[in-house]
Amino acid sequence: MPAGSTRVNGAPVDLSEVPDDERLLDTLRWRLALRGTKEGCRTGDCGACTVLLDGRSALSCLTLTHEVEGASVTTVEAIANGRIGEAVRDAFIAEGAAQCGYCTPGFVVALTGLLAERRASTPVSDLLEEMGGNLCRCTGYGTIGRAIVRAREAIR
Amino acid sequence: MGFTLVAPERPEEACEILASAAPGQVAVLAGGTDLLLDLDSGRSHPDRVLSLRRLPWRSLQWNGPTLTIGSTLPLSEIEVDPVVRARIPGLWDAIHGVGSLQLRHRATLGGNLGRASPTSDLIPMLLALDASVEIVGVQGIRSVPVDEFVLASRSTALRVGELIASISIPEARPSAYVWQRVRPSNDISQVGVAVARASRAPFWRVALGGVTPRPVRLPEAERELRAERPLTPEVVRAAEAAATHAPFATDKRATETYRRQLVGVLVRRAIAMVSAPLDRPVGWA
Ligand SMILES: Cc1cc2nc3c(=O)[nH]c(=O)nc-3n(C[C@H](O)[C@H](O)[C@H](O)COP(=O)(O)OP(=O)(O)OC[C@H]3O[C@@H](n4cnc5c(N)ncnc54)[C@H](O)[C@@H]3O)c2cc1C
Ligand code: FES
Ligand code: FES
Repeated sequence: MPAGSTRVNGAPVDLSEVPDDERLLDTLRWRLALRGTKEGCRTGDCGACTVLLDGRSALSCLTLTHEVEGASVTTVEAIANGRIGEAVRDAFIAEGAAQCGYCTPGFVVALTGLLAERRASTPVSDLLEEMGGNLCRCTGYGTIGRAIVRAREAIR
Repeated sequence: MGFTLVAPERPEEACEILASAAPGQVAVLAGGTDLLLDLDSGRSHPDRVLSLRRLPWRSLQWNGPTLTIGSTLPLSEIEVDPVVRARIPGLWDAIHGVGSLQLRHRATLGGNLGRASPTSDLIPMLLALDASVEIVGVQGIRSVPVDEFVLASRSTALRVGELIASISIPEARPSAYVWQRVRPSNDISQVGVAVARASRAPFWRVALGGVTPRPVRLPEAERELRAERPLTPEVVRAAEAAATHAPFATDKRATETYRRQLVGVLVRRAIAMVSAPLDRPVGWA
């Protein structure tokens, strides 16, 4: 069994106790009590489970925990420790871009990864398109779209 | 579930593990975006899962005109390569349209070929680019054209103990991939059309996804396109041939009639994109 370790929000995590078939989503929520990362569908469709792996957005519901051995995992709990994550969080608050809030961690993490990966000069239409992997079932996409635009402005 | 995960570092070890197991006992894991759904549904219930993550296959290399892409390189890494985007725009179109960015950060080309879905967005483009699959196995290495590799849904030419090491595209081609879906992200294409223009006659390749039992090239449409820069009547005949001869069926995503209507439009659009590439953006804006 491939043992090893990973870092979650900067802290080392020993994976030797984690069963081989466990998903990263479950390790985060139930083993590490980081409940910010949400389970919406468990089939890759909704983006609620998005985390950053070495800075890149990934679906924790479709990732076996041992597959991220050696990587650095960032969840919504630590996303605002970085400059871009902080701007994204503030933009979501300023625009009131949440109703029930269930989808919000996924949006915040995915947008932070996206803005870090692409230049802030990326056209808004491209950013909106690239956020297509995140679904919201209640607040509507108007405020979320405005939060995306606001976050982009804030880091330019 | 309850499987053990093995992650060998050398291809020979990985092939050995596969060769020494009974059928279905070992499942192969690349990005996992198809396999993990099969594990959840119970369609796959292996004792062991063979992870490819430590194998030295995450590469992208040009050798002269040929582009070789390692089977386990995440799709997003191909997408951000500015040379690939400029020289094989259709490959960029096809990859960029897969799922979502979160998904493409882990999903791979090897996994897409391994799954061999009739609705794959990547197999039609690989067909239009005359790509081939480099396979390693306990018996050695072999190369198989994508057209002979993909047999039907979940069925490929891989033999026991074999893995996809890389995918090779023999030359960069002006190309385009266009699709129709209900939603642009995380949805399955009702029809996908890949078009590429080779450097020598016969110039044109037209391939389709959303057909049964696997993505196919469409020689009836290709034959109508003789000139390097075809005029409208040729393009219209090619689109009509595609609508007539594509092996479409009705399923929960679309009716056969709708697909036939659609494919003509998409074929014309894709050929136009290849013929007049000037207004296509290159690189992240
Ligand atoms: C939400 C969602 C949206 C999607 N959208 C699209 C889409 O728009 N277009 C599209 O085409 N697909 C789509 N897919 C399907 C999937 O993401 C792709 O097929 C992807 O390329 C699979 O790659 P993977 O590395 O994740 O495969 P895995 O799940 O790791 O593997 C898939 C299969 O291939 C085998 N395999 C993998 N690598 C190798 C190898 N090197 N050698 C031999 N066998 C191998 C595995 O055993 C398995 O059977 C989507 C999936 C989801 C969940
Ligand atoms: S829970 Fe992972 S995408 Fe929905
Ligand atoms: S705020 Fe409720 S699902 Fe998005």
